[in-house]
Amino acid sequence: MQKESRALGADLVIPALALAFAVYFFFSTADLVWEAKANGVIIGTALVILIAFQVGRVALRIMRGEGGLGLDPIWQPREMAWKRVGLVAITALFIAAMPWLGLTLALWLGMAAQLWIIGVRRKKILFWLPTATAASVYALFIAVLDSGFPHGPVEDLLAPLLAMVSR
Amino acid sequence: MTWQFLLDQFAAQFALWWVVWLGILLGIVVGILPGFSPQNTLIMLLPLTLAVPVEQALAFMVALYCANHLAGGVPAILMRIPGSGGAAATTLDGYPMARKGQAQQAIVLSFTASVFGGLITTLATIALLPWLSKLGLYLRSVEMVIIMLFGLTLIAVIAAKDTLKGLISGFFGLLIGVVGTDHVYSEPRATMGFLELYDGVPLVAALIGLFAVSEALVMIEEKMIVEDDARERAMQASWADTIEGLRITVQKWWHIVWTAFIGLFIGIVPGAGASIAAFVAYQQSRMWSKHPELYGTGIPEGVIAPESANNGVTSGTLVPMMALGVPGGSTAAVMMIVLQYHGMVMGPRLFSTNPGLAYGVFVSMAVAYIFMIITILPLARFMARIVLIETKYLVPIILLVTIVAAFSERQYAFDMGLALVFGVIGYIAHKTNYHVTAMLVGVILGPLFEQYLVRALRISEGDLTVLFTSPVGNALWALLVFSLLVPLARSWWQHRASRSSPPQP
Repeated sequence: MQKESRALGADLVIPALALAFAVYFFFSTADLVWEAKANGVIIGTALVILIAFQVGRVALRIMRGEGGLGLDPIWQPREMAWKRVGLVAITALFIAAMPWLGLTLALWLGMAAQLWIIGVRRKKILFWLPTATAASVYALFIAVLDSGFPHGPVEDLLAPLLAMVSR
Repeated sequence: MTWQFLLDQFAAQFALWWVVWLGILLGIVVGILPGFSPQNTLIMLLPLTLAVPVEQALAFMVALYCANHLAGGVPAILMRIPGSGGAAATTLDGYPMARKGQAQQAIVLSFTASVFGGLITTLATIALLPWLSKLGLYLRSVEMVIIMLFGLTLIAVIAAKDTLKGLISGFFGLLIGVVGTDHVYSEPRATMGFLELYDGVPLVAALIGLFAVSEALVMIEEKMIVEDDARERAMQASWADTIEGLRITVQKWWHIVWTAFIGLFIGIVPGAGASIAAFVAYQQSRMWSKHPELYGTGIPEGVIAPESANNGVTSGTLVPMMALGVPGGSTAAVMMIVLQYHGMVMGPRLFSTNPGLAYGVFVSMAVAYIFMIITILPLARFMARIVLIETKYLVPIILLVTIVAAFSERQYAFDMGLALVFGVIGYIAHKTNYHVTAMLVGVILGPLFEQYLVRALRISEGDLTVLFTSPVGNALWALLVFSLLVPLARSWWQHRASRSSPPQP
């Protein structure tokens, strides 16, 4: 019977990120006084040692033929991978567009786009779910709490109404 | 303080029922939203609280504060998204319970543990206020270093399934927690040139990214949150499940009491908060359990301990504010601003000059908890149905609304981007079995640990033996060592017993 080959490379992604950050920490704090860097250096050193153990453990398993350096667990299931990338990209676009579009409109557009990406095709849901969410967020964060979210066309349009209600 | 005085106080607070209810409702709404802390809400509502009479303002603020602590457990249980740092430990057992079709029981447990934990500690505070206010004086930076270590040992507990991965997650979180200016010279460390990181990594962005965003990205693989084989059970959930939750509460009453007192004692220390209390309570609950191996699989004690402790904190936080004039946390600081605006001077004299207000705060808290159980318990059945909503509708709501909430803490667009980055890291961690809770423990407790350690070392001029010089500290050290040895001794004992027992035929 053939042994199942595991994608062990995925187990090294978090250690790689942690190592990169630890190295950056060591270099960026090299010139600081000891009180400022002592805690980070101790934690970072322990982290590097732990990562070395993990790399050794993965290397040993690869040498034993238990798996390869694939990243499959991160991408699988494959049919979801592009949906995930799409969701992250739309979230990033939402963050970037919010200062221009304002909270309510950016949220409405972002949510409609995400619903579509994820596979929702019913027009009623594509319209009403973002509308209900954006309206609730507007009501809580802008109308009730008056927090500092960016204002856009929707907020500007509703401002006189809000002023009238609060009077 | 006489019984008549107390009864009058309770009567006065009950008369403000409409203010309390308003505070509870708003507290629940913002508490469910990850990252929206009570202090942010109170700051935004300052124009309102400054305009109304002080008694009403106080009743409203206290109710909102307590409800906020309670509601944080709801998304933690239903979607593995803690509403606040104090509810992060609730995800460990609350979410597995929801996945098994026991969402309603878990929510009821969370509500009852929060309410009774909060109520018991509030009543204890009213009775023991003069003594409790002195406790804060005994818990200084040395003792706090050891209390932080109690919380940090949770990393080792979480790491039990895969020690190396758990420890890497925890230490990665601790290193992320070091980002920002140091506590002595204010030198920026590992900020990558971002001014927004000078105050450290914002906890809310880390919390939202590691839990909410990462969970949403994983969630799309499944049709619903609840597991396929538990779906039938979740769909048939009825009031009987609420009663079942209440039955478990009665059964575990002692667990609620002692974990709530952990919250109370930690809450009294200025600067310490619900996150530390919840992590320490979870760690202690697991350590004293007869079945520690079941923690993390979805057991009631794993929900009770953090929820009871994070509500035990609510009264504790107000003790130093009322008795010493030192706010125990940021929410207490906002409350203090409102009270001072109304001409109240916090500190020991408040109890002689205005005992009605001094004790009224805690009576108001007790009344808020009584109202809360009536308000929220019937909602458990309906809230639990969230696990039956298809994930294709839930995921966009979780992703975008929680990202919006990341903005609300400091009002920096940067924090939303940071939450997304943490989300991607959390997603990779999730898919490769690196525990995000261990990472979050590090991010939360790391900076606090450093702060107290550096403070202790500065006082002792760098002498490490200062950590072993206080009687309270030494008692805590002994307890910490004992906490670490008990699981080892227990596993050795079980191993020995299994070896000596005759093999089964």
